[in-house]
Amino acid sequence: MKQITSDVVVIGGGATGTGLVRDLAMRGLKTLLVERRDLSHGTTGKHHGLLHSGGRYVVKDPQAAQECYDENKILRLIMPHCIEDTGGFFVLTPWDDPGYVQPFLEGCRHAGIPVEELSISHMLKQEPKLNPHISRCFRVPDGTADPFLAAELNAESARHYNATILTYHEVLSLVRDHNHVTGILCQDLVKDEQVQVNASIVVNASGAWAGKIAASAGITIQMIPGKGTLAAVNHRIVNTVINRCKMPSDGDILVPTHTVSIMGTTDIKVNDPDYFSIEPWELRLLLEEGEKLIPDFRSFRLLRAWAGVRPLFQETSATSSDREISRAYVLLDHVQRDGIEGLLTITSGKWTTYRKMAEVTADKVCEKLGLRKQCRTHLEILPTRTKKESIKLHYHQLGARLAEIENQKSYGKLLCECELVTLPDIEHDILQNEVHTLGDIRRDLRLGMGPCQGGYCTLRAAGLLHALRQPPVEEINTAICDFLEERWKGQLPILWGHQLRQVRLNELIYKNVLNVDNLPGKTSSRFAIDKYATPPPEQVSPPSSKPSQQQITFISHPSSKSTDVLVIGAGLAGLVTAWRSLYHKKNTRLIAKGWGATHWSSGCIDVLNNQSLEAFVTAHPTHPYTLAGSSTIRNALTSFQDLCASASYPMLGSIEEGLLLPTALGSLRMTNYAPITMVAGDTRNQTPMLIVGFSQFLDFFPSLIAKNLQAQSMLATDLTLDLVSLQQHKYVSGMVLARLFDTPEFRAEVVTALRNRLGEIKRIGFPAVLGLNEPLTVIRDLENQLGVQVFEIPGLPPSIPGIRLHNLLTAEIQKLGGRIYNGMQVTGFENDAYRISAVYSEAAARHQPHAARTIILATGGLLGGGIQLDDHGYAQDTALGLPINCPTDRTSWHYDTFLSSEPHPLHNIGFAVNSSFQPIDQKGALLFDNLYVVGGALGGFDPIHEHSLEGVSLVTGYLVGEKLA
Amino acid sequence: MIPEASLDQCIKCNICTTACPVSAVTDLFPGPKYEAPQAGRFRGSTQPTPDQSVDYCSGCRICNMVCPTGVKIAEINARARATLVEQGKIPPVLRLRNNLIARAELLGKLAQPIAPLANFALNLKPARLAAEAVLGIHHQAPLPAFTNQRFTTWFRQHPAPTNPNRQVVYFHGCSTEYYEPRVGRAAVNVLEANGFEVIVPPQNCCGLPLLSNGEFNAARKYHMSNVQHLIKFAKLGIPIIGTSTSCTLTLKEEAPELLDMHDEETRLVSESTYDFNEFLMILFNEGSLNLNLRSIPLSLPYHVPCQYRAHRIGKPGIELLELIPDLHVIDSHAACCGIAGTYGYKKEKYNIAMQVGESLFKFINDINAPFVICDSETCRWQITHATGKPAIHPVELIALAYGFPGEGALENIAGNI
Repeated sequence: MKQITSDVVVIGGGATGTGLVRDLAMRGLKTLLVERRDLSHGTTGKHHGLLHSGGRYVVKDPQAAQECYDENKILRLIMPHCIEDTGGFFVLTPWDDPGYVQPFLEGCRHAGIPVEELSISHMLKQEPKLNPHISRCFRVPDGTADPFLAAELNAESARHYNATILTYHEVLSLVRDHNHVTGILCQDLVKDEQVQVNASIVVNASGAWAGKIAASAGITIQMIPGKGTLAAVNHRIVNTVINRCKMPSDGDILVPTHTVSIMGTTDIKVNDPDYFSIEPWELRLLLEEGEKLIPDFRSFRLLRAWAGVRPLFQETSATSSDREISRAYVLLDHVQRDGIEGLLTITSGKWTTYRKMAEVTADKVCEKLGLRKQCRTHLEILPTRTKKESIKLHYHQLGARLAEIENQKSYGKLLCECELVTLPDIEHDILQNEVHTLGDIRRDLRLGMGPCQGGYCTLRAAGLLHALRQPPVEEINTAICDFLEERWKGQLPILWGHQLRQVRLNELIYKNVLNVDNLPGKTSSRFAIDKYATPPPEQVSPPSSKPSQQQITFISHPSSKSTDVLVIGAGLAGLVTAWRSLYHKKNTRLIAKGWGATHWSSGCIDVLNNQSLEAFVTAHPTHPYTLAGSSTIRNALTSFQDLCASASYPMLGSIEEGLLLPTALGSLRMTNYAPITMVAGDTRNQTPMLIVGFSQFLDFFPSLIAKNLQAQSMLATDLTLDLVSLQQHKYVSGMVLARLFDTPEFRAEVVTALRNRLGEIKRIGFPAVLGLNEPLTVIRDLENQLGVQVFEIPGLPPSIPGIRLHNLLTAEIQKLGGRIYNGMQVTGFENDAYRISAVYSEAAARHQPHAARTIILATGGLLGGGIQLDDHGYAQDTALGLPINCPTDRTSWHYDTFLSSEPHPLHNIGFAVNSSFQPIDQKGALLFDNLYVVGGALGGFDPIHEHSLEGVSLVTGYLVGEKLA
Repeated sequence: MIPEASLDQCIKCNICTTACPVSAVTDLFPGPKYEAPQAGRFRGSTQPTPDQSVDYCSGCRICNMVCPTGVKIAEINARARATLVEQGKIPPVLRLRNNLIARAELLGKLAQPIAPLANFALNLKPARLAAEAVLGIHHQAPLPAFTNQRFTTWFRQHPAPTNPNRQVVYFHGCSTEYYEPRVGRAAVNVLEANGFEVIVPPQNCCGLPLLSNGEFNAARKYHMSNVQHLIKFAKLGIPIIGTSTSCTLTLKEEAPELLDMHDEETRLVSESTYDFNEFLMILFNEGSLNLNLRSIPLSLPYHVPCQYRAHRIGKPGIELLELIPDLHVIDSHAACCGIAGTYGYKKEKYNIAMQVGESLFKFINDINAPFVICDSETCRWQITHATGKPAIHPVELIALAYGFPGEGALENIAGNI
């Protein structure tokens, strides 16, 4: 077993542990820190990032308040770059006791915390979203801090003073020799081996886990882990910390930090710091309390919710509520307490007081070792991440990252678009730090912490990690799954509204276009984070009436020049319906809010994932395919193939035997029909292939693809081209490449770069960007010049092959005299008993009426935006406001794994229809005589999960379009 | 809901980026998604703005039209640009230039009385080169010629109809007043041929050029003044109609939304405002449009301007023109002509604007018709500049079909029909 000796070993890589290892190292002690995962993995990385002024505790816990304020002043000096000087408000809402104001002000004065009352108009000027019924507002020097960065910089400083930091080292037990703790035994999770660290003093700085660690040496520490649930709003709805002016309680604080606003917190005693759930009532509470501060609170998008465990310590048990326990820190010397030498425990306290906690602990260590060394952590500024000593340090500002991107015009290098993390940032992180998982990069750089929650950056960061570290490809695949699951975990409690739509898009990307389930290797690793426990089921009755719709101003008259068919929605289903309807000479108009899912999907037609149609139809009696019948399905697909062929974009394949194509991760994906630009990629053909990418195109990592194909016994090699013409571009997206491939000059450059590097290669796979307008010409030209087959591999949206399908159909519709209007969001309708006489779309100044004999809803499902769900669990279609059935027990909506082998139950909600695809109510009665539903808005199946997204849209659109003839 | 709140709806799909005509031709503009929902999360009201590239947004609003989630991208960008202006991040010379080209009304008032001289100067190459060097107005940019007689001068002198049965307010806008009074004459003729008494109240520039240059305070003054001029008619239920699509869009939506003007009077003016074609199609649908239209046997390309599509009312211009016997209108389906109001006049943006319009120009050249139809004045000037083809407003064809004498490009056509 590996043995290490040190003066002091610190357990726990949170704020306290990293602060302590820095303090000890600065005093010249040989110090080592072990952390079971990455730094900040525990409670430090899960709190709201509040730099307390102390105001929160002035009445309840004056000692904690005093400590907070003293440390607040010091931290502003030593780590301004980790702090945003937001200031804080204490506001008295109509729900708060005005009698609290007096003791609050006295408490502040007593602790020396500067406090100033603001007029309500002044308050609203600074924070216009706050509740105008707030009656008093006090400003205090609260701030927000980046706890990830602070821990990293403390560790960095400690390393500078010769400390050793071992992450991914999980403590198995304290090593005890009679009444003496002599070290720790831990497991190196990366090398999968045991390590013993011998030290004169062991400091247990493991926070809420202190009891578990101590127990391994037979010592009892009564920790009461206090679970606190927080929720992040997608953007900054305030720029000042907002506290309720009352005794600390649940849901009373809103903290703006980085790009989000964090609403907190609940406080629930849990038995095990590693195992607890987030319950739906906690989110409801946060929303309700949020509305008291900001009346519009519910209208904002929640990104995720998470829970951390406060390390609350109590020497005697029996206290009724967690909030009664002091938030001041506790240093336990186990000689006095338990008669055990060599062990100290530092716990409880606040993030804000971490440095003080480290100081008193280090003082104690020195005392025990008989050293006279003074603390210097309050005198020396923490290093910067970039190590440019010359930079003048100032407080962090929200716009700092954007300013940097704008100044350097580095927007083409964004790997995480939401949080503006660039390729060089991540390269530096991977090469300089001990990065094992994508989560490590996240904690360092905020990768994947924005609205799309890893939707795009997961592939990109994994590709980069693979390119730089070249580990076995299975490890990368596992890292991808781990990261997707970790991001899923935090979204689960808040999946409604916009974030639900986002996860549907992410599902489309990872479960369908990239087929992550099919990657070689395991779908989770030993680094994977623990799931939250499943909350107990609960029945919540949805509101009895639907949410009030906006009042419609209606002045114009519906067009009397009558439209036969009005199609709402411009995805595949809507376009196909309009095409068939026009083909049959119906006067047809298509209106849409925007473009649809064609732009996101692979550009192939998935009908069924490798199943017999007949068997499927028999097994699924209510499925749209069954309602359509197999002959209609075949006719639809044949007609569509004919259309594509006539547009010089043949789609090849069949229902019975599809193609097995590589994805942009190198997994294999079964599809029924693929454009001619992709067919040479069929992996049932064993000829060697070369995967070619472009250095500037960050959505496509050839080596990752080739390695995964090799892992599945295919002959694949890779090449990344660094073309001169691309170096001149500030950003190279799929669209930029597609437009370039449309030009012979660019193709010539690509051919020249490849010509002498082909060897035995028989086919070349490019990202799916081989021309927007004339892909067939592009691909034939490349094949002729290179003398090998060429194929496309679809990847992250926007999808060029999907856009080609969209363009092909819109051109046909226009050719047939149809009109397509986008930017028109349908918001209501007018009916004459069981006929819809007109629908309205939102327009400048008023609503635009559209009269038609037949209305087709092709607005999509949760993915396409045709169906929306609110936080009450009320689902409705977004165009006409018709209700959609939805399970009321929120805990049954989703499985706790994103990549679940079963479809998530919520994801099949949609319209119930009869065999004519007319929507029906629960009793089977028609809703309207002239309304039809096609595509993703249909319910009862999950098109992404069963790989039928395009097939169902095409078939149902075709069927209804034909029926109207 | 303020436009910025809509950024929550973005699912990062980048459909807008693929459709953006500006980022398709220059990578000085990283695209709509980057600028609005993405950068929007890094903007804070109390801090210095980090923005630069957002100034390259042309404001064409194609992103809004294709966005499947309803993010108000163009509005967010316009407001981010206003912050740049407010915080002094636009260099003074460019700001002076922007204020000059954004004040068509002021220029008109000053230069129209000396139209021959002003037009001579505007066509003088050394003068244009000097204007580019000093002010940053591109020397090739399509500056329109001042008219010899203002629209309102003509209007006051023209014989009013004897027995009108309904009333309408005409918002002529600066271009009709100072540059293209023929459009206003056609509009008045068409309205009067439909039995309207046309009221032309005092009015200001709608303020759109100022809005699109981030000069919000100046734009607010204009809009407040227009609301004051127009409110009494709105209260009487008299429709306010305009031939300039950008003026009507500004009255309807742009000014109230961008400037956070949500008072009752502004709202009433907004709801009383109609685009000219939209209004005639409402008359048609009511059955009260004069359908005594003569044949015009021509095939003509029609470009629906971005600002027109932003009304979200479809393409009533095409439906209206299709009422004219034998007239065949060919929709360009093109994204944008590039000019985007004042955008294409700027020396640093002229080439971008010309490239943006390339596919439209090719479409027009390929058709080889005698002239082009387009609703928006700056687009007409850009089209003529790039293709050499005269461009007219749809109302001019309606007037011709009613038998009024054609003017400008239609002058020669009329005789042949």
